[in-house]
Amino acid sequence: MLLPRFEYRAARTVGEALTLWAEQPGARFMAGGTDLIAQMRTRRKVSRVVDIKQIPELNQIRESEDGGVAIGAAVALSALCEHPRVRERYPALVECACQVGAYALRNRATLAGNLCNASPAADTAVALLALEAKVVATNMDRSRVIPVEEFFLGPGKSALEEGELVTEIVLPARSAGFQGSYHRQSRRRGMDLASVAVLVAKGGEGAPRYRVGLVSVAPTPLRVRAAEELMEREGPSAIARAAEAARLACSPITDARASAEYRREMVGVLTARGLAALA
Amino acid sequence: MSQTKIVGTSVPRVDGLEKVTGAALYTGDLKFPRMLYAEVVRSPHAHAKVLAVRVDKALKVPGVRAVATGRDFPFHTGIYMRDQTIFAIDRVRFVGDPVAALAAETPEAAHEAAQLVEVDYEPLPAILDVVEGIKPGAPLVHPDLGKYYVESFITPKPGTNICNHLKVRKGDYEGALAKCAHVFENTFTVPQVQHVPMEPHISVARVDLSGKVEVHTSAQSPFTVRHLLCHCFNLPHGDVEVVVPTVGGGFGGKAGINLEPIAVALAMKAPGRPVRVAATRAEEFYATVVRQGLTATLVTGVDKKNKVQAQKMYYLWDCGGYGGYGVNVVRAAGYTCGGAYHFPNVWGDSIGVYTNKPVGSAYRGFGMQEIHWALEQQMDRVAHELRIDPVEFRLLNCLGPKKTTVTGQLLEKSSGRVDKCIEKVDEVLKLRARGKKKPFHGKGIACAVKAPAMPNNAASSVIMKFAEDEMLEILISGIDIGQGLATVAAQYAAEALDLPMERIRVRMRPRTDFSPYDWQTVASRQTWATGNAVLRGCEDLKRQLFEVGAQALGAPVSRLELKDRKVIDKKTKKSVPLAAIVVGYQFPDGHTIGGPVATSAHHVPDGLLFLHPETSQCSKPVAKWTFGAQGVELTVDPETGNLRIERLVACYDVGKVVNPGLIKGQTFGGIVQGVGTGVMEELVIDGKDGRPRNASLMDYKIPTALDIPDKMEAFYVETPQLDGPLGARGIGEHTMIPTPAAIANALYDACGIRIDSMPITAEKVLKALKEKQRREKEGEDVQPAAASVAKVRPPARATRREAGRERPGGVRARRGRAK
Repeated sequence: MLLPRFEYRAARTVGEALTLWAEQPGARFMAGGTDLIAQMRTRRKVSRVVDIKQIPELNQIRESEDGGVAIGAAVALSALCEHPRVRERYPALVECACQVGAYALRNRATLAGNLCNASPAADTAVALLALEAKVVATNMDRSRVIPVEEFFLGPGKSALEEGELVTEIVLPARSAGFQGSYHRQSRRRGMDLASVAVLVAKGGEGAPRYRVGLVSVAPTPLRVRAAEELMEREGPSAIARAAEAARLACSPITDARASAEYRREMVGVLTARGLAALA
Repeated sequence: MSQTKIVGTSVPRVDGLEKVTGAALYTGDLKFPRMLYAEVVRSPHAHAKVLAVRVDKALKVPGVRAVATGRDFPFHTGIYMRDQTIFAIDRVRFVGDPVAALAAETPEAAHEAAQLVEVDYEPLPAILDVVEGIKPGAPLVHPDLGKYYVESFITPKPGTNICNHLKVRKGDYEGALAKCAHVFENTFTVPQVQHVPMEPHISVARVDLSGKVEVHTSAQSPFTVRHLLCHCFNLPHGDVEVVVPTVGGGFGGKAGINLEPIAVALAMKAPGRPVRVAATRAEEFYATVVRQGLTATLVTGVDKKNKVQAQKMYYLWDCGGYGGYGVNVVRAAGYTCGGAYHFPNVWGDSIGVYTNKPVGSAYRGFGMQEIHWALEQQMDRVAHELRIDPVEFRLLNCLGPKKTTVTGQLLEKSSGRVDKCIEKVDEVLKLRARGKKKPFHGKGIACAVKAPAMPNNAASSVIMKFAEDEMLEILISGIDIGQGLATVAAQYAAEALDLPMERIRVRMRPRTDFSPYDWQTVASRQTWATGNAVLRGCEDLKRQLFEVGAQALGAPVSRLELKDRKVIDKKTKKSVPLAAIVVGYQFPDGHTIGGPVATSAHHVPDGLLFLHPETSQCSKPVAKWTFGAQGVELTVDPETGNLRIERLVACYDVGKVVNPGLIKGQTFGGIVQGVGTGVMEELVIDGKDGRPRNASLMDYKIPTALDIPDKMEAFYVETPQLDGPLGARGIGEHTMIPTPAAIANALYDACGIRIDSMPITAEKVLKALKEKQRREKEGEDVQPAAASVAKVRPPARATRREAGRERPGGVRARRGRAK
């Protein structure tokens, strides 16, 4: 498929990016472009691509004000996965992020892009949900913070408003140290979208805290609080019931990758496996 | 030659360096001055009448230089049956059928113009299932079937959707079945799959102002492309040149003719301008060619001594919209319908059915993986039901010397030994001598056989010549698509002429104007055919060298030998270097004898005969058979249905291992491709509108490095092929034939389930496991093989007589009747 004609502009600052977007109707921000460019070939009409990769402040991984970590919107997934502080404090995110595509693709793709694409199959989205991350979005007038839990609205739909640019994603200090166990079912082992995946994370001071997130089994990535609460309340003896809670929470569809029945079944199996691995 | 120095060693690939450095140029790398870019307008309907094609708006797009439609070129093409026009004229037969094409200064202009071509269609009922297609009264995909030119060995049935029907009748099937103690019947299916070469199809054509046609194309067979282009456009062969640069994978998909006629048609409309037609990856999936689907029903009758006495095979092939190449897959599957087994009484039908789906064609294995999926699972099922070890049962019934194939061909000692391959796999995997079985861990085996499927006169030739520095140049027109042909050709010459490999160059980018004739690079025939031609050419080169050498040395030819790049008089030990002979020998007084040493040589299969038109009985229908077997060891995850293939062991009787490194590459590559089709590949065509549902690499998966078996092992038996070059026979395709069936049989061994429909996805496995558990819980009388997920047919009420009556689908349901 041919890539239709479009104008390419690279911004040097967030302000310039916002201006470049505003002056051209039909403009889109682009981070890695691994989703956007593919979509432009087939369905998405874009008149101007505003590349944010050359904006220095968006290429940083820094300590956030509350002691967590803020990841700039242009940071490549491979850089994220290799970052010592992220690896040490947010291993669950790294475990999911290194499942996206192939290594070469992760040199280009970004966490913010994966999030903005709002795919129910996004591997990193489930980690951000589980880790209760926050998205910082900016437009010409203001910046606002959107909890990831409120970010996804449906397949390809997010809470971002027209003209809002995600500048960074903040992982809170309270989620540091959560260990992750990511179980993914796909048609092949390498380079495939998850047909269904489950992230179980465990951490917290004192009594263990659990997080259970599901991929590709609902219109958005999904967090299953009922399963988490069961585990927190009753411990490993509740694994079977927590898995059942996850099974009930999802609403999968049948598509080229798997049937709805199989997906639901796998949510139970993989949730139990994840919980058992961390219990 | 008993001892070989170079043949039999792992010399490095002669084309390795140019490929890893990027020096090798592919068709897509070629940039011609003033080249135009094409876009093809394709049918969005599976089956429709074409009422009108309007191109006026498209022609107004700036940069558009040519447009071609069906009415401009009402010419038929196809390798075995000319049932296809370059562009659909009054009817489209699959989603993707070309209707028109445009050439423009830029790909963008061509794309824009293509959107403006207006086609009026009147949709027709579509045949999207072979079983529907063969029913009496089904809508016809080709109402003009009776008018097409068809090769003599292809037998379509005008007035139906049958594009070829091969019947095999050996012995007295009906009588033998009546006497059998046990009868088993099962049905298996294989979906259409695609070749997925790294380099999609691409052709660049130019028609110069004198009318000469030049085509640069990614193809497996330059001469067949030229021949079919000449037929199609009614041009003399002398005015069409086909050039094949480096090819990035073929797997059969680039056999015969593909995009070339479209490129030539556009080039004729834009004289002097090269026109480039390139398939997108999406077009590669549905609009080029695919492997045919298969629905196979088998009936096996076994006597009290566990010998198969009667075997019926009913193969329905999903040929898609056109049968040009696929009809020969149907034929090959017919004369090989019994696989690697000796069946004394056979009733075989191999039927190609037109459907409104992507076009079936050659694909590595040429129908054999598909029929072995059925045959090898059937043999396994029968063995388990008879409570005999599957290895024993195979050894008891397999082909071998003094056994006859389904066409009645008597095999000889030199025909190859499947029994030795089975035994080797058994020895390595310990199939029979196994210890205690672990739960959800299993082992299975499947055999394989294949012959080259080609016309009886399919020829290869080579041109061999010496450069002034006694570098030997070998011109071949077989295409090295990764199999290592160029390396192997050089090895044979090095062996025969005692030359070091580095003194040989194989010219492997043929141009039909200058290169020697070769029919096609298909059928696992190149090592055998080109290898034989090279050896024959070497004999002639040697004769020429000796003729001059004898005079130079003053010795009779009988005293000469060729060694260390010298012609040596064995008696006097005097010698003359080749460099002094290869362009003419000059005596000390200045006078010269001889001249440039060069030759051409060919190979044509010897003594092949046509099949009997009604029974297919024939003493020599094919040039050679290659037998083999593969064994699989795997574990099943009972909660997810995932398979982990821990070990895959292959053994083939290749006659002679020419290059151990290359053959290992071939074998492992075939295994990986076999695993792909076995567990994940399927081109999904919507059952309602005939549109492809997964025509992208995102949705159609082939294996990655993470998906290959944990351990692969390859072994070879070397029973020399009498007419093979130093005993060698073909191996390229055979390596992927038994893999899916071996996986299926190991899966059964692991957990007692059968998957009859390829591919074996995790989801199917889990469903079958649950079905088995449900049955067991309900306390049904579950015989091991009855746990199949396939439709388990009820016990038959059919009479024995009915089993043999000739009618499509004339197989009745019986299983384990006489238990």
